[in-house]
Amino acid sequence: MPLGGVIFIVIFIALFGAFLVWVASKTGGKPVYHPIKYEPYECGLPSLDKKDTKVSVKYYLTAILFILFDIEIIFMYPWAISFREFITSGQGAFVFVSMMVFIGIFIFGLFWEVKSKALEWD
Amino acid sequence: MGMGKDIFEITVNGLKLVVIFLMMVQAVPILVWLERRGSAFIQNRLGPNRVGPLGLMQLLADAVKFLTKENFVPDTAKPLLYYAAPVFALIPGAVAFSAIPMSTPIQVSAFEMFGSTWGPYTFLVQGYDIGVGIVFILGVSSLAAYTLLMAGWGSGNKYSLMGALRASAQTISYELALGLSIVGVIMLYGTFNLTEMTVAQQGPLAFTLFGYTVSASWLPNWGIFYQPLGALLFFTTAFAESNRLPFDLAEGESELVAGFHTEYGGFKFNMFFIGEYGHMMIASGLMALFFFGGYGIPYVSVQEVQQWAASIGYGSGLVALLHFLSFFVKFAVFLWIFIWVRWTLPRFRYDQLMDFGWKTLLPWALANTILTAFVIYIASL
Amino acid sequence: MTADAFLFWFLAIVTLVSGLSVILMSNPIYSALCLAMTMVGISALFVTLNAYFIAGVQLIVYAGAVMVLFVMVIMLFDLKKDLQAFTRGRFTGAVKIASVGLLAGLVVGAIAMSVGLLNEKTTDNPVLVGTGMESTKALGNILFSKYILGFEALGILLLVIAVGAVALARSKGGTHEH
Repeated sequence: MPLGGVIFIVIFIALFGAFLVWVASKTGGKPVYHPIKYEPYECGLPSLDKKDTKVSVKYYLTAILFILFDIEIIFMYPWAISFREFITSGQGAFVFVSMMVFIGIFIFGLFWEVKSKALEWD
Repeated sequence: MGMGKDIFEITVNGLKLVVIFLMMVQAVPILVWLERRGSAFIQNRLGPNRVGPLGLMQLLADAVKFLTKENFVPDTAKPLLYYAAPVFALIPGAVAFSAIPMSTPIQVSAFEMFGSTWGPYTFLVQGYDIGVGIVFILGVSSLAAYTLLMAGWGSGNKYSLMGALRASAQTISYELALGLSIVGVIMLYGTFNLTEMTVAQQGPLAFTLFGYTVSASWLPNWGIFYQPLGALLFFTTAFAESNRLPFDLAEGESELVAGFHTEYGGFKFNMFFIGEYGHMMIASGLMALFFFGGYGIPYVSVQEVQQWAASIGYGSGLVALLHFLSFFVKFAVFLWIFIWVRWTLPRFRYDQLMDFGWKTLLPWALANTILTAFVIYIASL
Repeated sequence: MTADAFLFWFLAIVTLVSGLSVILMSNPIYSALCLAMTMVGISALFVTLNAYFIAGVQLIVYAGAVMVLFVMVIMLFDLKKDLQAFTRGRFTGAVKIASVGLLAGLVVGAIAMSVGLLNEKTTDNPVLVGTGMESTKALGNILFSKYILGFEALGILLLVIAVGAVALARSKGGTHEH
């Protein structure tokens, strides 16, 4: 795998992007400071500076459920890539059934999440 | 390192990567022009038509405008993250796109230069050929969530932060269905390698079912005929992954001003735009590759093109050019569909969006996986 | 120095520096981003060992999923108060001594365990060289023969974690008083 190429292009893009930002900061107009102008933009209203903004715990739940299902999906990849070889070597039925058991657990989990309203956004 | 065996090959391969990246960057203004003209056409307006022929000089005018904007960092922002986010936005798209094979390899026979013999070489028309191509592309594009989070938090604006949270929750939710819709494709071709997938889709449609060979010589052997549901799921999730309408909840301007890039203007905003179009290009390229034969020309095999090119006295260069055109046509069609859908469908509501991802796309992708495995197993009996 | 050796040292240094920055950064967001960088570096190191699929999994699961969760959660909460409670509290001294002891134990343990490995012959292990498909297929073969029970148990384990996460998120109360 051409790891060198990947690293090369990542470094190149980072330098190129930094260069673009630098050029744009040179060609752009001179910044004129004004405290109201440099406030966070909230459509012209005075910004409400509430530090402790409450965010739905659903974001956290979505992220953690994503990790769990992502791991299950990753485990399907080695199965998918050699499924035809398993069939030609006569293990097809066994591998198919064991994967179906795994997917069955997956579906049960998903069904339970839906049933428990963990995925409801309101 | 896999970049080549001597200095010439390494230089050419490095230049190739740079050219692919620059092509992606300069394709963005053209796509923006196309999008504006296309949206005007769809909505029965005129669109940009004043500056230059067909409004094409509008691109240059936009670039000049971006460059002359004041360099602006809000007081509440974290400057490091604020500047790093747009630069990082360019990386996942270009790195993933470089792994997509766009044509057949170009052979260069041995030649004399600087008093020594160089070559022969084989240059691929892609940035790098990665053995586990799909896994690489999925992994690299999953890093795009950091762009959103860095921009959203680094701006120090609560609308930006909310937009970033929404966008990243959406991206990761749809990544599940995206990863799962590809399992059928992997099973079908038995490989992660994108070039091998393209090769597997050449020739007319023919497959074996219960010991009978079914063939339809009037159709190419494309993945869409084996994985229609997978293709639909993949394309839908690709829309959500690139944060475009109807899934652009991240920048729902009626609720969140402009989402994670509220505080960005000028060239930095443009770089987020390049990142978004980069995701569109990856999705279109992968769509063409997984389901529409990649660079393969329908009804004509690579060998036939090679024989024809040899008969008129050309080598692998012409073959590569023709296959690149074939890839490009498919690629452009999907890019146009992206633009078309954006100006046709209204935006989802956030709960509808999450419901659609978790309760509709994910179960259907699971069903597609089970069905594909079942059919492959039954057909082999 | 060959190109491969240069690449290894480059990646090793990048990984270690970003790993160190995780504990040296004062802002938890930067720490989390540095940890994500460490994960990417480890993934690249897996590539130099020809473990392509594992490298991809490292990138997708750790860099693309777990660390996104960390960054999201840290951004959600304003951690200044909690940080001060941790660094300026009554038990700070004890906590610091305990963490230094834990770190020292980890370092000593890691060195003690890897000394034996360095002298071991690596030729006995199956060396998988190729495009990455062979090692993935080997992984699939071993997963669906020798470790099939562990594989199914993993499915159950993930289900249990999902149930636990939902139960935690539903429970009343939390760190933020109303």
